[in-house]
Amino acid sequence: MRKVLIVDDSVSMRQMVSFTLRQGGFEVIEAEHGQDALNKLQGTAVDLMITDLNMPVMDGIALIQNARKLPAMKTKPILMLTTEGLASKKEQGKAAGATGWIVKPFDPDKLLLTIARVLP
Amino acid sequence: MKIDLSQFRQMFLQESTEHVASMEARLLELRASPDDVELLNGIFRSAHSIKGGAGSFGLNSLVRFTHALEDMLDRLRSLEMQATEEVIGILLQSVDMLHGLLASEADREMPAEAAALLARIDALLTSRSPESEDRQAATAHGGEGLPPTQPRADDVAIYRIEFRPDPEMFASGANPIVLLRNLAQLGTVSSCELHSGDLPALRELDPARCYLSWTIELVSIRPVEELREVFEFVEHLAEIVIARLDTRLDTRPDRFTNQNAGQSMDHPEPAAEDKAPHGAAPAEVAAASIALARQASPGKAAGAKKNAEGGESSAGSGSIRVPIDKVDRLIDLVGELVIAHVMTAQMVEDFEPSLLPRLRESVAAMERNTRELHERVMAVRMLPVGTVFQRYTRTVYDIAQSTGKRIRLEMSGEETEIDKSMLEMLGDPLTHLIRNAADHGVESPEVRAAAGKPAEGLIQLRAFHRSGKVVLEIADDGAGIDPERVRAKAVERGLIAADAQLTDPQLRMLIFEPGFSTRDAISDLSGRGVGMDVVKRNIQQLSGTVSVQSAKGQGSKVTIELPLTLAILEGLLVRVGDRTLVLPLLAVIETVPLRHNQIVRIASQGEVVVIREESIPLLRLRRYLGLALEGTDADEPGGHFAGNAADNRRLAVIVEAGERKIGLVVDELLGQQQVVVKSLERHLRKVDGLMGATILGDGRVAPIVDVAGIAALNLFAFQTPTNVFRQDKASVQPVPADSTQTRERGGSAHELV
Repeated sequence: MRKVLIVDDSVSMRQMVSFTLRQGGFEVIEAEHGQDALNKLQGTAVDLMITDLNMPVMDGIALIQNARKLPAMKTKPILMLTTEGLASKKEQGKAAGATGWIVKPFDPDKLLLTIARVLP
Repeated sequence: MKIDLSQFRQMFLQESTEHVASMEARLLELRASPDDVELLNGIFRSAHSIKGGAGSFGLNSLVRFTHALEDMLDRLRSLEMQATEEVIGILLQSVDMLHGLLASEADREMPAEAAALLARIDALLTSRSPESEDRQAATAHGGEGLPPTQPRADDVAIYRIEFRPDPEMFASGANPIVLLRNLAQLGTVSSCELHSGDLPALRELDPARCYLSWTIELVSIRPVEELREVFEFVEHLAEIVIARLDTRLDTRPDRFTNQNAGQSMDHPEPAAEDKAPHGAAPAEVAAASIALARQASPGKAAGAKKNAEGGESSAGSGSIRVPIDKVDRLIDLVGELVIAHVMTAQMVEDFEPSLLPRLRESVAAMERNTRELHERVMAVRMLPVGTVFQRYTRTVYDIAQSTGKRIRLEMSGEETEIDKSMLEMLGDPLTHLIRNAADHGVESPEVRAAAGKPAEGLIQLRAFHRSGKVVLEIADDGAGIDPERVRAKAVERGLIAADAQLTDPQLRMLIFEPGFSTRDAISDLSGRGVGMDVVKRNIQQLSGTVSVQSAKGQGSKVTIELPLTLAILEGLLVRVGDRTLVLPLLAVIETVPLRHNQIVRIASQGEVVVIREESIPLLRLRRYLGLALEGTDADEPGGHFAGNAADNRRLAVIVEAGERKIGLVVDELLGQQQVVVKSLERHLRKVDGLMGATILGDGRVAPIVDVAGIAALNLFAFQTPTNVFRQDKASVQPVPADSTQTRERGGSAHELV
């Protein structure tokens, strides 16, 4: 089963995304913020990371930059959760090495379709 | 070392052709039971096998096409989709297309017809796919993407997509292969070109950089926006150019009628015989013989293999599939032969009289082995006729569809084995006969009902062995051949005199005459410019005969008789001059001593010998084949043709080709034996009147006379059947030897052809 790391400081958002992913047949690991995610990535190989951008401790942009430095994550797909209005954030994320994005409000079908577009 | 798979290519193509045939047969069965999952599974497996193999040989068009078929078949077998007539129709067209793609071995280019057919399949799948509806709903929900209308088949477009990823693309986790996959899901990739020119030497290669780019052609019904969306995440990481190539593809169904497909597939080269070179000089026989002698020298495995294909091998493909146990037995036999040989050689080496019985025994063992080897090697060439029969279900189906008739095809004796090279050459004549039966023989349901026959017509295709020959029968229960209509047409065509006295069977045989087929009377289906005369010629080339029986209102039956194999024949060895020739024994009726006073010359026509009041044209093989090098004039003073005293020492071998009889003048009968037919070297022109040659026990080369070929040469104007019939009334008169009307025929025979 393919493993996805979902990173969001919002518990409800994490649960929603996790539920959707489990329905979609993925194994899910959760992290509360960027640093938490980096720690988890040290011990576990994942096939995909989905991250929110606005988070405490370490935000999404920094997480993506740091994750890309890990050999295991160098070419793995990373999706960011953005909001329509924040075009500049999206550009920052792309520059940091994000593979794609999912625009909030969160839509389960759209999430799964987007994942299918980037996973080998 | 580079691993080269190309040696398996031929095998793959052959196997795939069998798969295509089986798919077709199953599809036709599917019409009766559209939800038979077993049938669908079988068809799916065939498509899958072809796809798998095609990939290995880089036959990409084939891969894409079978892939689309798989999608459709998968939907059908999971019963998500109904195998309606429309669906089966498209599948049958696809099978035709597969056949064409296999024949052309198309590497990369997808023919426009194939692409268009694919687009139709795609449209069919999309319009019935629950998944695509989900997808549309999802996209609509997301507020972007295509409008929620059903796409239509005639919105098909061909896009060319240039995709040049930035070298740094991998660093963002994007995967070009994933993008190409996503793109391919929007339609059918008709070509995908990989540009690897920027790829550096291995030691300079950085695996984290992308050096490759692609040009893709996609046939799709999706709008261009949806294609762009595929690259949404990498727009900043790649150069992407999407262009629409076509304006609009013509996908009207009538472009893909079975009729058209059949035409291009079944008759790639109509009447190829007409292009065959005629009139090779007899002098070339000698050259051919020399070439053969050289070829027969030991250690020329390649030449021997080619020869094994028989005299007409150029017409067939060059490979044959043999069950492994047959091969194993051959290898065992060769092994035994080698052992017997070693033992024999050893005994000869240390020979002493007491060893004689054992020597005899071991020579006898070698002989047994050789004979068995011979028989088994011949058996390798035999294939069941069923492999050719299969396709006729479709032929009949197509004709029934297009003419509104109801026709059932019954086949029997599919397991009857026949030489491979003959089997390949039988395809076209049989197709023609089946078409004739379906198109002209079987009447429309109304006419049949009026005649008190069942509405459904019956065509029977039978194969069986009879007295050392293979017999094929094509019978229909249709209208039959009306002898009076044949007569009228033959008179109109100038084939017979208006008052010719002919029996009904004789009249019916006229349909095989060149020039009889009337284009105007023949519909599109069986027309195609191939007449029954070509059928007859094809059969004669196979040393076979063809005849027709018919009863008005009750149907017709065409019977083809063929020898079991072309590669070996029972031969009559004759001496002509100092040459040995072989005559096929099957064609020989009798041998009579010549009496010069029985030889009659006919002005401008040649010689005949009168035997039991029958006039039989004579051909002096010695003169015809250019063997009259020594003592000719002494033997034949003055007239070149005159029956003279020297003829009293000669013999006439009466041979039969079709309904013609010819007397071949020979000097001596040498005996009878089985001979292996070897083809004349290919770079030499085909010699009319010779079907090949054989190597005699003493190593000499003996040409084999092609009786059907000689009969077809029209050396004798009065030999066409119509004239033979007329001859009943024509007076046969002796002509003086020095008559100026007598033309030298022998040397210049070819000019007359």
